[in-house]
Amino acid sequence: MNCVELRQSLAEVEDSSSAEQQAHLAGCAACSTLVADLNLIISTAAELREVDEPSPRVWHSIASALRQERLIRPPGESRSLVASFGARWGRARWMVPAAAALLILVGIYANQHSLSTRLTKDTYRPLPVPANVAVADAGMNDAELLQEVADRAPFVKMQYEDNLRRVNEYILDAQSTVDANPNDAEARRSLMDAYQQKAMLFEMAMDRSLP
Amino acid sequence: MTDRRQQTDDGLSEAEAIERAKQGDAEAFQALYDRHKRRVYSLCLRMTANTAEAEDLAQEAFLQLFRKIGTFRGESAFSTWLHRLSVNVVLMHLRKKSLPVVSLEETTQNTEEDSPKRDFGAEDLSLAGSIDRLQLQKAVESLPPGYRTIFVLHDVEGYEHNEIAGIVGCSIGNSKSQLHKARMKLRDILRIKRAEKAGKA
Repeated sequence: MNCVELRQSLAEVEDSSSAEQQAHLAGCAACSTLVADLNLIISTAAELREVDEPSPRVWHSIASALRQERLIRPPGESRSLVASFGARWGRARWMVPAAAALLILVGIYANQHSLSTRLTKDTYRPLPVPANVAVADAGMNDAELLQEVADRAPFVKMQYEDNLRRVNEYILDAQSTVDANPNDAEARRSLMDAYQQKAMLFEMAMDRSLP
Repeated sequence: MTDRRQQTDDGLSEAEAIERAKQGDAEAFQALYDRHKRRVYSLCLRMTANTAEAEDLAQEAFLQLFRKIGTFRGESAFSTWLHRLSVNVVLMHLRKKSLPVVSLEETTQNTEEDSPKRDFGAEDLSLAGSIDRLQLQKAVESLPPGYRTIFVLHDVEGYEHNEIAGIVGCSIGNSKSQLHKARMKLRDILRIKRAEKAGKA
């Protein structure tokens, strides 16, 4: 192997470890210097990997674009109700089917009485978040609610019991999160949602015209 | 490549930051950006040799990644995903500018890089002890774009020849040949700079 062949062979055997290469390098100072230089370049190259810092403009532009595309969620806003429950509430994932069950009852209620206006006014009013949870609605406790629906059809009675149990779990879960972090706006909103659900349940139970 | 359990600067693990970013958490996005910005920006800067272009490309790479972050399932390392995406963004940019991603030189053709240089002596002009990161950085910037791409991907970023062949669309042999020529050209550039410096002294 001569000098030209050695240099050509370095493209294929980069570390010059073949027997032919080693034999040539042993007697050629120029090629030995070349190989040493290439190894120095290779080892220094790794230092170029993450040495440069982008200007702050880059992040500002990225953040601005993410906000415009609503990939960054403004503080306190859930990107998705289901995702939010999944991530934050864990045990409260059942709220989606529970809300659906309640909506069925509300649908019957509204259909029979054409009281959609009243429902909106009465049941969706903002409720204050009490400092301590008392799982009851004004003037009526859970036992009284169950007593109120005791003579309803078995399916409806079971539905009330199930919804009551679930909404109580939801309230306790949300309240414990609010207690742990009183400044968590999402937790406070979830707690108010839970109380609204329960208020709606009581209102429907007291309406004797419902099935 | 990167341990996903490693913590970002604000104490989040990378896996936590990814999950929170999927929920739209601004701090999580920034944590991921802070963790990877130097690597991505340096890659863009090495391959373009232009600060403004490198910043635009780094921005584009992160935006593309963040838009797709909801689809990330962790089958591959996040950093691997990001760096590959960044390389693609840069290569796309080079192609749009009609810059060769790979040198057009025939890989089998013997070029001047293959022949021993007669201009320089042997051991007295060895680069040993005379190059540092900044000098190499400048030399890389002066490489032709095709050589620069292969050198950065292989010697700086650590991709293997088969990966480079897939990324830039050339043969493995072509990648090896281009890399060797890039190194030889860098050596020449560095030796000339050294000789110029010695002449001024």
